[in-house]
Amino acid sequence: MRSSVKGSGNVAATADDTEQHTDPASATPRAHRPRRMGPVAMVVSFFGELLITAGLVLGLFVAYSLWWTNVVADREAGQQADKVRDAWAGGPGNGGEGGGPASYDSKNGIGFLHVPAMTGDEILVEKGTSMKVLNDGVAGYYTDPVKATLPTSGKKGNFSLAAHRDGHGAKFHGIHKIREGDPIVFETKDKWYVYKTYAILPETSKYNVDVLGKIPEESGRKKAGHYITLTTCTPVYTSKYRYIVWGELVRTEKVDENRTPPAELR
Amino acid sequence: MAYGAGLMPWYDGRDGMYSWIWRHLPGNGWVRALLSLVLITAVVYVLFQYVFPWAEPLLPFNDVTVDNQ
Repeated sequence: MRSSVKGSGNVAATADDTEQHTDPASATPRAHRPRRMGPVAMVVSFFGELLITAGLVLGLFVAYSLWWTNVVADREAGQQADKVRDAWAGGPGNGGEGGGPASYDSKNGIGFLHVPAMTGDEILVEKGTSMKVLNDGVAGYYTDPVKATLPTSGKKGNFSLAAHRDGHGAKFHGIHKIREGDPIVFETKDKWYVYKTYAILPETSKYNVDVLGKIPEESGRKKAGHYITLTTCTPVYTSKYRYIVWGELVRTEKVDENRTPPAELR
Repeated sequence: MAYGAGLMPWYDGRDGMYSWIWRHLPGNGWVRALLSLVLITAVVYVLFQYVFPWAEPLLPFNDVTVDNQ
């Protein structure tokens, strides 16, 4: 701070109590001499500038949260999705036996979620629901506190997923547009898993881990089955509650050569 | 009576820190405007790249999972 005094004499000049305001060196030619402020005016002006600065920073934070994180996440998700598609195209199914990297490398994502009622985009699904995973603009399947049952395992259970409502790709932003009966389709390398929405819980506590259960009883089902659960935060722009959508497997379809989507997506 | 003039060199009783910065930028008006833009860009970059990513998980806006803790 002291070093800044070197450049011009005006700051040092104010330190002494003589109210002689003479600083010809630093004054720009056209500047007429401004009035000195009293202590109250100075404090007010200092807080005024602090408030202006805080307002600007908060405004920038909103822009960061709702716009910039989407830009970054969409780019990241797009790259990862391309990797998965490439691995699928070059995997054992197409290019002979055993070639290419393992198509179910959990790091790369296990498939794509299609929910036409919510978004026209496909959503890459990866392992885990940590912020690090979800911030890449993907949906994550739960490993904690209740482990998701992957549809590819063929077992009965609950395929539970989470994604951001706002920012970081905002993949589940339109979750409130899903109605009962709407299709939720999960695409893997060689199968389409077609689910049908059968229950929606528009607001629940963030501690309600029962919604992830193998048999999500709150959805009204009492028997084991192939379920899918989408979770995100609600209301929009906050994280006060959780929004839950449940679906049940209707059928699976083999992926054909052209990856023709099932009727629900056409 | 310049309170805090030693602590905050821009509070020399004339104006606030923004005009203090402006007065201390070299060059004519256009050069200063350009330098101001560069400074603003630098500040926005630091905020977006380091400060906001650090602050975001501390704020309760973006927790989407259910958990039992």
